Order: sequence, then C-alpha cells, then structure tokens
Amino acid sequence: MFTWKKLGRIFDPTAIKGKSWLNEFAQAPAVLVFDEFVRVYFSCRPLPDANGQYVSYSSFVDFNRSNLFEIVSIADNPIFKLGERGTFDEFGTYPTSVIRDNGNVMAYYAGWTRCESVPFNVAIGAAISKDEGVTFEKLGSGPILSYSLNEPFVLSGPKIRRFNNKWYLFYIAGTKWIPNNGKPEPVYKLRMATSVDGIHWVKQEKDLIESRLEEDEAQASPDVFFYNNKYHLFFCYRYSLNFRGKENGYRIGYASSTDLINWTRDDTKAGIDVSEDGWDSEMISYPHVFALDGNIYMMYLGNQVGKFGFGLAQLEGELI
Amino acid sequence: MKWKKLGKIFDPTNHQLPNNCVEFAQSPQTLVLDDCVRIYFSTREKDLATGKFLSHIAFVDMDKNLEQIINIASDTVIQLGELGTFDEHGIFPINIVKTNNQIVAYTCGWSRRVSVSVETSVGYAVSEDNGLTFKKIGNGPILTASLDEPFLVGDAFVCVFENVYHMWYMYGTRWIDNPEEEAARVYKIGHATSLDGIHWNKEGKQIIDDVLNNDECQALPTVIEHNGVYHMYFCFREAIGFRKNRDRGYRLGYAYSKDLITWVRDDANAGIEFSKEGWDADMQCYPHIFKVDEKIYLLYNGNEFGRFGFGLAVLEN
Repeated sequence: MFTWKKLGRIFDPTAIKGKSWLNEFAQAPAVLVFDEFVRVYFSCRPLPDANGQYVSYSSFVDFNRSNLFEIVSIADNPIFKLGERGTFDEFGTYPTSVIRDNGNVMAYYAGWTRCESVPFNVAIGAAISKDEGVTFEKLGSGPILSYSLNEPFVLSGPKIRRFNNKWYLFYIAGTKWIPNNGKPEPVYKLRMATSVDGIHWVKQEKDLIESRLEEDEAQASPDVFFYNNKYHLFFCYRYSLNFRGKENGYRIGYASSTDLINWTRDDTKAGIDVSEDGWDSEMISYPHVFALDGNIYMMYLGNQVGKFGFGLAQLEGELI
Repeated sequence: MKWKKLGKIFDPTNHQLPNNCVEFAQSPQTLVLDDCVRIYFSTREKDLATGKFLSHIAFVDMDKNLEQIINIASDTVIQLGELGTFDEHGIFPINIVKTNNQIVAYTCGWSRRVSVSVETSVGYAVSEDNGLTFKKIGNGPILTASLDEPFLVGDAFVCVFENVYHMWYMYGTRWIDNPEEEAARVYKIGHATSLDGIHWNKEGKQIIDDVLNNDECQALPTVIEHNGVYHMYFCFREAIGFRKNRDRGYRLGYAYSKDLITWVRDDANAGIEFSKEGWDADMQCYPHIFKVDEKIYLLYNGNEFGRFGFGLAVLEN
C-alpha cells in the first residue's frame, strides 16, 4: 500500500472573484511544470443558465514551484472557446490533459453536446498551443477521437501520455445508459488508444481493468504515471446510481502494469481515502499524479466532484 | 444520360407497414435477388412520447421487371438503437451491399440533439436471412464525426471496385442560425475507402463542386460504373426555404469520373427533369441507381421528400 500525506486543498474556485467563467468547480487538474511555477489546468463553470444547466470551460492557475500553496496567477480567459452550433464541444470542454511536444503544448479535451433522450454526449478533441500553454487553437471543429462500433457514446476523460516514442491516450468510453426513471445515467469504463503522431489513433478496444463494485461501476480519470519501471494507474470509480453523496460516490482506485496492456487492479494499494470531515470528506476523484523536484504528488478533487476545488497529497515512501 | 420515366411504383399509404408506420417511403435502395428486387425504404412512426417521427426501414419485393408488387415487409427489418446510441431515433437511409456471399447494410442513424435537431452517423449491420432482417455488429457507428467533418456523417453508399470498398457519403459543414425555422444544416459529399468494409479512411474533402453557392446541401450519392465511366447521382438544394419553395428544394445532380478521384459535375446531362405535374413535379430527391438483367434503373423520391412514395426511371442510352 502507498501512503499519501494529505497537504490540503490548494485551489478553491469559489474564492476567485471577477471571472464570470470561473464561478465554481475546478475539476480534473492536469500539471505542466515550468522553471518558476507549476501550471495546473482545470475545468470550471460559470453560473448555470435559467434552466439550471451548466457549460464547462478549461483554464489554468499557476502555483509557485517551491510552494504549491501560493497562487502566482490565474489565466485571464478560458483556453478554448466553446464549439459552434451543432459541434461536439458546443456546451463544454472538460476535462483537459496537456503534454509538451516539440516546443508546443498539445491539449486533449472532452467536448460536450446536449441530447434529447439522454442529457449529453461527449467526444475527445485536440488543440495546440504555441505560447507555452496560454492560448490554444483547436485542430478542427470536430473530434479527434469519437464513437465507434464498441464505444458507442461518452468518450471522455482524456489523459495524454508519451512512452517509448509512442503516444498513449487513456480515456473512458460509455457502455450503456441506465434509464433511471427518466434521468438517464451513463456507465463508462477505462480505455486506451495509441498513436504514432498524436493525431491518428488506434483504439485498443478493451477495458483496461475489471469492475469491482458492480457490473455497472463507473470508472474515470485513468491517470498513468511511470515510475520504478512500472506503470501506475490511479483512477476514480463509483456506483452507477445515487452517487452524488458519500455512500456511493467516487473513490480513488489503483492498478499497475509493466507493459501498458495488462493491468492488475488493487484498490487496497491506492492509499488515499475520504477524510473524516472537510472539503474531501464525501468523495475523492480525478487523481493526477506527477513528480516535482524529487517528490511525488497527487492532485485530486473533493466533495461534489470538485465543486469547491482540488487538493494536494504527497507520497510518503516509494511507488513500487 | 437519358432516362425514361416509368412513374410512381410504390405509395406507402396504400399498404400496411411494420412498426406502425403510415406515410413516407424515402430513399429506396435495392437488393437484387434471384427471383425479385427487394427495395428497402425508410418510413415513419409517430413517436408518442415526443410527437416527433421515428424512421424505420421496411421493404417491398417486386418482380424483376419492376411491375408487380410481390410482398411487403411485415416485421421489423432492423431495430433502432438503444437509449443514447447514434441510431436511437431513426434509420434513414439504408444501403445494401452484397459481397462474398454476405449481405451487409450501411445505415444512417439519427439521434436528436438540443441546440440542433439531429446528429447522424453511419452504422453497419449484417443479414443472415437474405435481407429479411439485419443485425448490427455493435451499438456504435463505423463512420462518424472527425476533425474536419464535425457532424452529420451519413447517407453512405458503398461499392466494391477492384477489391477496394468505396463509400460516398454526406458530412455536415455548418449549422446556420435560421430565425424563420430551426437551425439549417449544410452538408457535402465526401469519399472514403476501405479494405474490409468496416474500417474506413476518409479522403477528407468535398468531392463534388457546388453549383448554387457555398451553402448548397448535397445528399445521397449513388454511383454506378457503366462503359468504363463512373456515374454519380445525388440530390442537392438550397440550405434554407427548401421545404415549400420548388425553386429551392431538392433536385437531382449528376457527376462523372474516370478514376474515382476527380469528379466532373455535369447537371445539364443528368437527363431527368421535374414533371409538368404530378408526383415529381415539385421535387426530386434520394436517387438510387441499380442494374437488373442488363437494364439500368433509377429509383427516386418526388414531392414532399417521398411522403407518398417513390418512382422509377430506366436508362435509355
């Protein structure tokens, strides 16, 4: 088992004033390290519309590299505009994952559209930044990874990685919508695709890990971190229904692999759980693990899937 | 090209159709069998939950001279998709391809959206009973939106030439805000190739020039090889005001190619015009070309997008 020492919440979106697009939620943190600061991308929401519906934007906050509790600056604007009418990302861009590539920064993000029989559908888009991740240009108005025979809907939660000169996209794909008395809820599982150029992707066409809670367990945020000759996969999982409270809500799970193909799930090793009280007492989700200056950290969301921000934990000991 | 019109050959309102469908027989497409020509079409059931329509596939079997109706589908030909899938709210149209003793269908699945009326993608299904019924091989599509074809991928028409599968299809380019009605879509004809009929590579460009303007809508390509030339028919219209205004509605377009790469648009040689009066006097759309016993036929819909059926023409030269 790993031991994570919780350092506390480092970003609370509700405390930020003067940015209408950043009212609440700071979801799915993703780190890009600079010399002096650590840029953390996240997804956030303005106030809901008259019907109570939200849109999501992605943006970033910069922390002092030597003190991750010190905010250096916050982006002036979201990094992407929402898509034009009828496009896959018309109603939201969440989550976003970033990676450096030949002096540019590539972002892979999930775009949200609204449907009639189910509340939404999601597909994965890509964008490029030529100014160190401040502004991004979408590669096209459509998605870069979308629905296929055995991944019929809800392709979301991208995490972009490069290992051994190959691009890896870890993501989730929906398997079914549970009708749930007229309030449909999707079931989704962790998946993977590979690419030689980051543009053209080949889906692996299988679930990365088995389900543990129930057949319809929902799994999200497949965050892969290479360390000690092993691939460590932290993710979050929950029950398919009634998951908006502590009982059935998100927890952080763990699996490992030596070849990126065969994964062994062992949630007992994850080493992090909900707190007794406070901002992460009901659920913890959307883990992102990264190394910085000799330490290994995890950023993660607390209650209500990051409505009140994200926090930081530090690994004590080794990832083995 | 010169077509001799044979008139309307099927009116859905004269027949009992499966799935509680009452009107519309759209986009007729054929499977030529040993003893009959099976003509699939899309017909409509009223969705009691929403008051909107659900498109279902049905078929009519005709004799090989296309004069007599032999049989009409009495059961569901292909199921609409499950909750949240791309073909939950309709299948329209369906294209049937017979290869290597297998009968497969390329479907255009419809699902409803909120900010726009609909999204479509191309699905794939297989028949093991000579085309009476089709089963999908997955819940998702085989061809859908991509970086530069952001929505409304559909209307697949597939042929095999020299062991390569070719698909011509439509893809959306934009949705126009339209204060008069709901948002209006613009779509063009694209091309993709495949070695197995399931995994496709999009060519990634509009292959048929516009003649009206940039917002010309092009749909339902159908292609046949004849005397060493590839002939394509399709339908096209203005993006707005096309439902009621004859001058802005669907008509048939034509293009030809010698290499399946470059297409020359040549509507003047389409060889088929609106009738002076009658069932195809105000609109012509959803063409389908096929061959039976060395004769080349054209099926198409007339007024009101095929609400009252489809007709037939035969190539004269």
